[in-house]
Amino acid sequence: MFQNFRLSMAWLHTWFGLVLGFVLMAVFFFGALSVFDREIDRWAVPESRFDPQPMPSFDNLLRPIFEKMQPTKTDIEQFSSRVNGAMPEQFDTPVRWGAYTTHRDPVLNIFAGYEVPNAIHHDDAIFTSSTIDPRDGRIFPDDSLKIGSQFFYPLHYSLNFHWMDLGYWIVGFSSLIMLVALVSGVVMHRKFFRELFTFRPNKATQRSALDLHNLTGVVALPFHFFFAFTGLVIFAGIYFPVSHTQLEQLHDQHEIHEAEVTGLPHDRAGIAAPIASVDAMVAEAQRRWAERGMAGEVGFLALSHVGDENGYVSVYRAGTDRVALTGEGIHFKASTGEVLREDPPRTVVASVNEFLTGLHLQHFRHWMLRWLYVLGGLAGCVCIATGFIFFVEKRKRQYVKQGSQNARVVDALAVTTVTGMLLAAVGMLVGNRLLPGTLPEGWPPRGNLEEYIFWGVWVLAMAHAFWRSAPVAQARMNPAWIDQCFALAFLAPLAVVLNWITTGDHLANTISAGYWPVAGLDLALLVVAGLAFIAGRHLRRKTQTESATAANELGNAEVQHG
Amino acid sequence: MSLKSSSSSPTLTATHIISRIGAGILGGYVFVWGFIALSLAGLYAVGMPFHDAEAFGSIIGFLLYLVVFLWAFAAQSMGKVWLVLVGSGGLMTAAAALIQHSLV
Amino acid sequence: MDNLLLLAAIILCVSGMAWLALAMDVHWKQVNSGALSAQAVRKLRIIGYGALFGSLVCCLVVDHATMASLVWIMLLAGSALTIAFTLSWRPHWLRVFAVPFARAH
Repeated sequence: MFQNFRLSMAWLHTWFGLVLGFVLMAVFFFGALSVFDREIDRWAVPESRFDPQPMPSFDNLLRPIFEKMQPTKTDIEQFSSRVNGAMPEQFDTPVRWGAYTTHRDPVLNIFAGYEVPNAIHHDDAIFTSSTIDPRDGRIFPDDSLKIGSQFFYPLHYSLNFHWMDLGYWIVGFSSLIMLVALVSGVVMHRKFFRELFTFRPNKATQRSALDLHNLTGVVALPFHFFFAFTGLVIFAGIYFPVSHTQLEQLHDQHEIHEAEVTGLPHDRAGIAAPIASVDAMVAEAQRRWAERGMAGEVGFLALSHVGDENGYVSVYRAGTDRVALTGEGIHFKASTGEVLREDPPRTVVASVNEFLTGLHLQHFRHWMLRWLYVLGGLAGCVCIATGFIFFVEKRKRQYVKQGSQNARVVDALAVTTVTGMLLAAVGMLVGNRLLPGTLPEGWPPRGNLEEYIFWGVWVLAMAHAFWRSAPVAQARMNPAWIDQCFALAFLAPLAVVLNWITTGDHLANTISAGYWPVAGLDLALLVVAGLAFIAGRHLRRKTQTESATAANELGNAEVQHG
Repeated sequence: MSLKSSSSSPTLTATHIISRIGAGILGGYVFVWGFIALSLAGLYAVGMPFHDAEAFGSIIGFLLYLVVFLWAFAAQSMGKVWLVLVGSGGLMTAAAALIQHSLV
Repeated sequence: MDNLLLLAAIILCVSGMAWLALAMDVHWKQVNSGALSAQAVRKLRIIGYGALFGSLVCCLVVDHATMASLVWIMLLAGSALTIAFTLSWRPHWLRVFAVPFARAH
C-alpha cells in the first residue's frame, strides 16, 4: 500500500488524526478542566463554598445518614435491565457503605450499595450516592449539579454518552489513536531536536500552524503519551473485561481464596450483628499509620456486609502526599472493632499500577504540578487544533481547484471544536448563574437544564460555523472564527459578573479572603476573555489585509487588461 | 493521495484501506485480548497475585495494541497481518482457557 | 522553603532550556550578532544540561522521587515552551543568557 514506513505513518497520522482529533480535543480540554474539577464545583454550587473538611465522625454524623439512604428513582431505572422480573420497592440489605474525600473537598461524597435478590448476576448490587456537608450532615439536593466533577470530568472519559457505553469506547479508541498519532508524528517529524524551539508566527498560516503543532506535540510528548496510556489502563476492565467474561470462573475462585487468606469474609453470614464504634477504628488506624511514620488523614472509609456478623470496616489513608490515590488500608471486624488485617506493602506490579493510576487521577496536593498538568492538557488541545488548521491550509487551494466543499466542512468542524467548545463550557457557567434556585413544578431538574444549555450552545456554535463557512471554499478564512472569539470575549466576563451579582463573591472579596477556588475560576475566565479578544482582533486584521490584497490583485488585473 | 501501482504493491483502494483498519482495530483487539487472558491465567497459575497479573496484562497489553496497530499499517502483506494477529490471539485465548480449566 | 526550591527549579529549568536553545546556530543568530564558536556550543550545552539537572535536584529535595519526576518532566515541557515563545516574539530577552558565551570582537 505504501512505498515506505514513513509514508504509511504519515497517512495514518493525517487521516486518523483528522477524524479522531475532534473527540480528542474534547477529551484533552475537559481533562485539563478536570484538574480543577472540585474548584469548578465550588463556583457552580455556591452553598459549597467553604473550606475543605476532613472525614467527619461516622458514629455521630455519617451513620444516621447511611441508615436512611435508599436508591433513587433514577438509580432503580438504570438497574432495571439487570434483574429478572420487577425491581424491589425497598432495599433492606446494604452490602457496602462508603465515603471518599481528598484534601480539596469541602463536601463529602458518600455511596451505598444494596443487595438485589433477583439480580441476573448473583453479585450485582444497586448503588446510590449522595453529597453531604460534613460539618452538619446537611444533604445537598440531587439537582445541584457539580459542573466540574459531575459533568466536565465524566465528559472527558465518556463524552456523557451512555447509550450502550458507546462514549467510553469512542474515548478509548481515540486514546489508542492518540498513542498512534504520537509515534507516527515522531516518525514523520525529521527535525525533532533541531526544531525543538522553532515557532515562526510571522510566516504563512500553514507554516506557523505546523510549527506550533510540532512544538506543542514534542515538548509535552511524555505528558501526552502517559495520559492517553494511563487513561486506557485505568479503564482496562471496560475495554478488556477478561476477568468478568472468559476468565470469570478463575476470578470467582480467586475471590474466595483471597477471602480465606486475608480473613475478610467474601459473603454475608446471614446473622445480624451490631456495628461497633467506627470512630474508634479510625482513630486506631491513624495511630498505626503514625507509628509507621506515615501520619495522615482518612481518604476512604468503607463498610462491607453492613449489619452482618461477617461485616468489616476498611480505613484507607488519603494519598495527599504521594502519587498513589489511597493506601495503607487497615481492616476491622465491624461488630467488635478488632483489627483483622493491615494491608502489606504493595508488590512491584501493584505499585506500578497504582503509580500509573495516581499519575492520571491526581488526588495529591501539589499546586504547581496541577497547573503544569493544565498546561500539558491545553498544549494537547493546541496540538490538535493546529493539526486541523494545517490540514485545511495545506489542502484549501487544492480543494478549491477541485470545486470540493471538504475544506469548508473540516474548517467548520474545527471552529466547532475550538471556539465552539469553549463557548459551550462558558455558556453552561452563565446558565448556572442565570437559572433560578428552585424551578417551577414539572420542569426538568436544574442540573439537566444546565446540561441542555451546554449542548445547545455547542450545537448553535456548530450551526453558526457552517453557516459562515462559504469563504473557505474560495481559500479564505471562515469569519466564524472571529465571530466566536468575540462572543467568548463577551460571555466569559459575563459569567464573572453574574457570579458577583448572584453570590456577592466578587474578585476583590475572594482574592483578599484567599478563597482560590472561586477567585481562580473568575480570573481564568477573564484571561480567556482577554485572549479571545486579542485573537479575534488579530484574525480580523488578517482578513482585512487578505481582502485588501485580493482587491489589489483584482485592481491590478483590471489595469493590465485595460 | 493515490500512489502509482507497480506490479508488486497494491494501490490505495477502499477495500485495502478497510482491510488495514480492520486488521489494526479488530485483529489488534483479538491479539491483545489473547495476551491479557494468557498473562492473567498464566501468571496467576505460577503464583502472581490475581490483580497483579491482571494489571500486568493490561499495561503491557495496551502497549502491544499500539505496536500491532502501527504494524498493520506499515506491513507489506495484509494476509500476514491478519494471520498473525487473529491466529496468535486465538491461540493465546485458547491457552488461557486451558489454564483456567486446569485450575478451577 | 519548599516554594523557594520549586522557584529555583523553575528558574534553573527555564535557564537550561535557554542555554540549550542558544547552542543552536539558528537561535543564537536570533539573539546575537556574533558567530557561534564550537567551543561556545560545547559550553552552552554543558551548562544547559547542568541547569536542567540542577532543576531535577531541587525537585527531588522538595518531593519524593515519584512525585518529583512528574514535576520535573512537566517543568521541562513548560520551560521549552517558554523559551520557544520568547524566541518567537522577544528574542532579545535571551541576550542575558548569551552574553557570557559571545566571542569578544
